[in-house]
Amino acid sequence: MEAALPESARGGVAKPSSEADARRRRAFIYGLIAFLLVASLPFLPVNNYIIAAVVRALIFISLGQAWNVVAGIGGLLSLGHGVFLGIGCYTTGILFNQYGIPPWLGVWVGAVLSLLVALVMGSMTLRMRGVFFALATVAASLAMVQISRHFVDLTGGADGLALKFFGNSWWAAQSRTPAPFLYASLAFVTLYYWITRWILNSKLGLEMQAVRDDEVAAAAAGVAVFRTKMLGLLVSAAMTALAAGLYMQFYMAIDPEAAFGLSQAIQLQLPALIGGLGTAWGPIIGGAVMIFLSEVTNWGGTKIGVSGVDILVYGLMLLVVVLYAPKGIVGSVLRNAMKGADR
Amino acid sequence: MDDLQAALLLALQAILSGILVGGVYGVLSIGLSLAFGVMRIVNFAHGELVMYGMYAGVIASKSFGIDPLFILPVSFVVMALIGSAQYQLVFKHFVGHATLQQLLAAIGCALVLQMIAQIIFGADTRTATSFFSGQYVIFGPFFLSMPQIVAFAVAVVATLLVELLLHTTTWGKAVRAVADDMETAKLVGVNASFINIGAFALSAGLAGLAGSVLVTYFPTYPSVGFSLMPIIIIATTIGGLGSIGGTFLGGICCGIIQQMTAMLWNSALQDVPLYVLLMLFIAFRPTGFFGLRSE
Repeated sequence: MEAALPESARGGVAKPSSEADARRRRAFIYGLIAFLLVASLPFLPVNNYIIAAVVRALIFISLGQAWNVVAGIGGLLSLGHGVFLGIGCYTTGILFNQYGIPPWLGVWVGAVLSLLVALVMGSMTLRMRGVFFALATVAASLAMVQISRHFVDLTGGADGLALKFFGNSWWAAQSRTPAPFLYASLAFVTLYYWITRWILNSKLGLEMQAVRDDEVAAAAAGVAVFRTKMLGLLVSAAMTALAAGLYMQFYMAIDPEAAFGLSQAIQLQLPALIGGLGTAWGPIIGGAVMIFLSEVTNWGGTKIGVSGVDILVYGLMLLVVVLYAPKGIVGSVLRNAMKGADR
Repeated sequence: MDDLQAALLLALQAILSGILVGGVYGVLSIGLSLAFGVMRIVNFAHGELVMYGMYAGVIASKSFGIDPLFILPVSFVVMALIGSAQYQLVFKHFVGHATLQQLLAAIGCALVLQMIAQIIFGADTRTATSFFSGQYVIFGPFFLSMPQIVAFAVAVVATLLVELLLHTTTWGKAVRAVADDMETAKLVGVNASFINIGAFALSAGLAGLAGSVLVTYFPTYPSVGFSLMPIIIIATTIGGLGSIGGTFLGGICCGIIQQMTAMLWNSALQDVPLYVLLMLFIAFRPTGFFGLRSE
């Protein structure tokens, strides 16, 4: 918490602050305003449809924040994060439906399973270079699509798995209205923001960035490259699986394509890619832009009777970002405004 | 003993169908391999180009009553043009480096092409009919599907033509020179950007041609590219990114393994061994059997 406050604010004495401090303070204030605005939505005259859209945005932001740790800070373009999303969702769902274990516990089991899978996946793939790593992670998640379709008794096969509905229930972490999910997802995004900030400033984060920027130089400077990559992947996998628990409770259903499919893996990356890789604010801004655009275009698409326009928009956004703004919104558009603001 | 004989026959049947299916996987993949070999571009939208080739076959067969096999040159030319546009708009910026940005741009292209197809053709599964649809050849104790035999023959011919083009023409020599070392090729007077766009058009044209052959026995839908892409990547990686003949053999390996898994174990899990194989190849032999050096 205190890292965001300028030195002057901490002591309570108004010292003359540098421009970077002023920007840091401004970023903190904007963040606080956004937080309060989102938190007060249920008390404002907005309908549940809009609140649900905000929850979707926040869930994708938290998934994007998790992916950002390994891809943005660590430079490993994982296309296989659907694996951790799917394991989180399926574990929570299966434990609840078949054994009556509440999601409050199930989600931790999912996180542990994800860590184990990440350990295996990582030890096979982390020594590979750039594109090969990405292709190997694609293979892992596509294998999971077929495997989850195969074990019908456990996963419901291709039809997927729907949670048993208990109405408004604390025990089952279910609700008829989206408001509770709004607070849960807002808590996730805030927590993940601080985790990202903490990682960026930690020894691990610095080592990850060094490995991302130049693996050989980092190794020469004494960074344990493989261990650093593995730690980043593990943190990211656990974060994804925990956010997946929230995803499952909100959507109430999961199927192989939604969990492990290529389209889902791409959607997980868009918040960080659009907003700015390796920055703490990137996934938040990018996720908000992404869901806003997809809601608007889907609404427009239904008006003219075309479906799937949101995917078209995702593709175009990906192209525009990669070709014209490789540093994302935070790095390219808001470059000056966010300079020195710890991003 | 009868059980053993039955199992052996089944395995042989699987190998034969695997070779036929695999030949088509090979021709699906050589375009990707060529683009990587010459420009170090991993075109993740290659499957989408195949998908448009498949729809070309569907339109020819359903709207005009023309056998998809007769429109192969048309699919080739149309997709070559679309491929050149794709190269000019997107991939031109990434020549020479298989970077993550390049992969992301290709994924963006794939999504856009896929959704344009969905808007034009709808989300339904479509099929095309050819002279040979539904026909079988009985060869001793084995059943072979006629469309697959024809598709295999087309695949072999197309692969041989590409090899011939690359090894006998001046243009082909220039392409191979650029693939080998772009800077040196430029020094000796090869117009690298001209070669690149030609190679990319050839790669896309092959995807279109392969799609129009494939659609004679495999139905198409807007996301079919994403379903085919894993096999294309695996065939290319096993055979060796950048090697045309190697990639074709990689496709045949994929076909055999897939059909063996489907017939002897479980058809729902037919691709899982391939994914494992891909992981092993990437981990221990990223250049495949015949590939270029990886850097």
